Amino acid sequence: MSRRTRAILIAGLVAVTAFSVVAFYVNGWAEPPGPAIYVITPTLVLLAYLLVGLIAWQRRPAERIGLLFTIVGYAWFLPALTRLHDPLPFTVGVVTGSLYQASLAHLALAWPYGRLRSRLDRAVVAANYAWNIGNNIVQMLFWNPRTNGCGPACPANLLLVHSSARLYSTVGTVASVVGIGLTVLIVVLIAWHWRSARGYARRAMTSLVWVALPIGAYVTIVETPSNLGLSPMITQGICPLILIAAPAAYAIGMARTNSARRAVGAALVSLEPGPPPGRLRDALAAALGDPALQLAFRVPGQSRYLDTSEQAVDPARLAAGRMLTALDPAGDAVLIHHEELRHEPDLVKVTVTAAVLALEHSRLQAEVEAQLEQVRASRARIVQAGDAARRKLERDLHDGAQQRLVTLSLALGLARSRAADADPELVALIESAGKEAQEALVELRELARGIHPAVLTETGLAGGIQALVERSPVATTITAVPAGRFPAAIEATAYFVVSEALANVAKHALARSARVTIQELPGRLLVQVSDDGAGGARPEGGSGLRGLADRVASVGGTLLIDSPPGCGTRLEADLPCL
Amino acid sequence: MPVTQSAAPLRVIIADDAVLLREGLSRLLTEAGLEVAGTAADAVQLLHLADALRPDVVLADIRMPPTQTTEGLRAAVQIRRQWPGTAVVVLSQHVETEHLFELLADDPRGVGYVLKERVADVAQFAGAIRRVAAGESVIDPQVVARLVARPRRDSPLQSLTDRELAVLARMAEGRSNHAIASQLHMSAKTVETHIGSMLAKLGLPPAPEDHRRVLAVLTYLRS
Repeated sequence: MSRRTRAILIAGLVAVTAFSVVAFYVNGWAEPPGPAIYVITPTLVLLAYLLVGLIAWQRRPAERIGLLFTIVGYAWFLPALTRLHDPLPFTVGVVTGSLYQASLAHLALAWPYGRLRSRLDRAVVAANYAWNIGNNIVQMLFWNPRTNGCGPACPANLLLVHSSARLYSTVGTVASVVGIGLTVLIVVLIAWHWRSARGYARRAMTSLVWVALPIGAYVTIVETPSNLGLSPMITQGICPLILIAAPAAYAIGMARTNSARRAVGAALVSLEPGPPPGRLRDALAAALGDPALQLAFRVPGQSRYLDTSEQAVDPARLAAGRMLTALDPAGDAVLIHHEELRHEPDLVKVTVTAAVLALEHSRLQAEVEAQLEQVRASRARIVQAGDAARRKLERDLHDGAQQRLVTLSLALGLARSRAADADPELVALIESAGKEAQEALVELRELARGIHPAVLTETGLAGGIQALVERSPVATTITAVPAGRFPAAIEATAYFVVSEALANVAKHALARSARVTIQELPGRLLVQVSDDGAGGARPEGGSGLRGLADRVASVGGTLLIDSPPGCGTRLEADLPCL
Repeated sequence: MPVTQSAAPLRVIIADDAVLLREGLSRLLTEAGLEVAGTAADAVQLLHLADALRPDVVLADIRMPPTQTTEGLRAAVQIRRQWPGTAVVVLSQHVETEHLFELLADDPRGVGYVLKERVADVAQFAGAIRRVAAGESVIDPQVVARLVARPRRDSPLQSLTDRELAVLARMAEGRSNHAIASQLHMSAKTVETHIGSMLAKLGLPPAPEDHRRVLAVLTYLRS
C-alpha cells in the first residue's frame, strides 16, 4: 500500500467517524437524539473494521483481507446517510441498510487471506450482495417513510412507486426468511472451510468459527421482523459490539503469526549449534504446525532430492496442498511445506533465513571437523614418517659404520697378535688404535639407540621399557608391562613417554625412586610413570613435556601431568590402541 | 700367544651377513687354533650347515637377513634345541637384556651372549668360544656390569661389599668358582664362602651347578 493510499484511507476513516458522530447529533428530521450508546457502539464497530483493515493492508499488502475489512467498515457506515435531511442520501442509506451483512459474509468466506476459494463461494457471495441490495430496492417500491414508521419530517423515498404497508410487510417477511437461509448457508460453508483447512490456515479458521457463530446469531436477530421482541437498546446499543469480534480475531491471528515467527527463532535457539538436518526439520515442523514438513537436499551431481529421512522427493510432483521453497539460489536445499504458508511471506522469510543459518552452521562445522581430521591424519603421518626415518637411520648405522668398526677392531686384533713379538712401540700403537675403535663403537651404539631403539622394534614394549629402566640413573621398577605387540606408532609413543619421563626424573625431580606401569585396557594403552621427587613439573616449563604432549596427541592420545610441589610427579599417557 | 691345544681342534661355523667380518673372524679363529668348518650369510644357510656339519660351536650375529632383526637369535635357540651337541655364541651390538633372556631361557648351558666388539681381543674371544663349547654359559661382562651398577632402593645388594659384588658379577658372567678364584686372586675356599653368604643375603637358593646360578643371579639383577 502506497503512502498516498494510506493517507487517503486514514483521512476517510477520520471523516467517516466524524460524520457519523456529527450526523447523529445534528439531525434535522428525526426525534431528538437517543442515548449516546446509539452512536458510540456503531462508531466503535466502524473504527474496529477500518483500523484492522488498514493494519492488515499494511502488514500483508498482497492479501485482499485488509480491503474486505475496509469494505465492511464503510458498508456499516452507509445507513448513517439516512440522517442527512435529503431524499437522495436517505434513499441510498435505506437501500444499503444491510449491505454490511453481505460484505461480512464475503469477508467470512474469504477468510483468512481475502480470496474466495471456489466457484460456489463466489456464487454465494455474489448472490448475497445481489439479494441484499435487491430486496431492499423491492421493499422501497412500496414503502412510504412518512406514513410508515418514520414520521412526517422524514425525507422522501425516491424509489416509492406505490405506497402499500401490506406489500411492504410481505416483501419484508420473505426477505427475512431468505436472509436467514443465506446466513445459515454461509455458516455451513465456513464450517466446511474449517474442516478442510490444514496446518497454519487451520488455526486462522478455528478463530473464525468462534467469531462467525455469534455474528451469525446477531444478523439473524436483526433480520427477524420484530427483532425477537428485544429492546432497541439491546439490538442497536449492545448487540452490534458482537461485530467487533471479527476484526479482533483477525488481529489476534496476526499477533499469532508474530508468535509463530518467534517460535521459529526459539526452536532454532533451542537446537544445539549446527544441528543435524533431521533435528532442524523437526524443530521447524513443530514451530510452523506442519508435521509433514520436509527438508530435502539435492543428491550431489544429480537432479534427485532426498529428504532428512532419506525419502526421495520429486520437486516436479509434490503432493496436493504442498509447495516448495528453495533455501539457496541454486536450489540445492529445499523446504516443502503446506501451501497455506504462501500467504505468510514474512513467516516463510524468517523460516528460510533460520533454516539457512542452521544449515550453514552445520556445513561449516562439518568442514572444520573434516579439516581437523585431515590435520590430525597428516600430523600422525609426519610423526610416523619421522619414526620410519629414525628406524632406517639406526639400521644404516648398524649395518654400516658399526659393522665396519667391528671389522676394523677385528683387523687390529689380528694385527696385534701378529705383531706380538715385534717392535713394542708398534704393539702399543695397534693397541691404542684398537682402544679408539672400541670407544667409537660404544659411542656409536649409544647414538644409534638414541636415534631409535632396535630392541623396541624387535621385542616390543617389554624389552624396550626394560632397557630404559636398566639405564635409568634413578632406582626404577616396572609394575606392569604387557608382553604383546601394538601398532608401531603406539609402541614408539609409549616408549618415548617413558624415556622422556625417566630423563626428567633424573634431571629435575630429585627423586629416590620411580615406577613405570603400562596397562592394556580395552581399546587403549595406559602408560604411567611416577616418582617420589620434588614435583612441580609444568608442561610449559620447557622440560620436553610440551613435545611429549604433542607426540602423544599425534596418535590421538592424551597426556596428563600431575605434579603438586613436594609430592612427586605422575605422568599419564592414555593412548588409543585399536 | 699360547693356545691350549686339544686332541682335535673345535669345529666352528660362523654366521654373519658381512663378508669382511666373516672372513676376518675366520682367520682370527683359525689363528687361535680353531677349525672353521663353514660360514653362512643368513639364518637359513646357518641352519642348513649346522645340520650338515654338526659343529661344536656356532657363532651367529643376532641381526641377519632378510628382516635384519633377530634371525640369528631364533636360529641359535633352534640349534640348541635340535642339536644339543652344538654350542652357540650369539654376537650382538646391543647391551639390551631382552634377547639375552630369550636365549638363556631354555637352558643356559653351552650358550654365550657376547658383544660383537669382543672380537678385537683374540685370546678372550677364543676363550669364550672354548668355554661355551665346554658347556659353560658366557655372558658379556659389559651387559652384566650394567645390571650390577643399576641404582636400587631397599635392596640387599646395597649391603654387599665391593669384593662380594665383583664375585657376583663373575657368577653372572657364567664363570666357575675356580675361574673366579683365579681372576680375583682368591682361594677357591674364600670364593665359596663369599658365594654362600651372598646367595643367602639375596634370598637365592644355594645352587651348586654354575648354569642354574647364572640364571638365578641374572634374573635377580634384572628385576
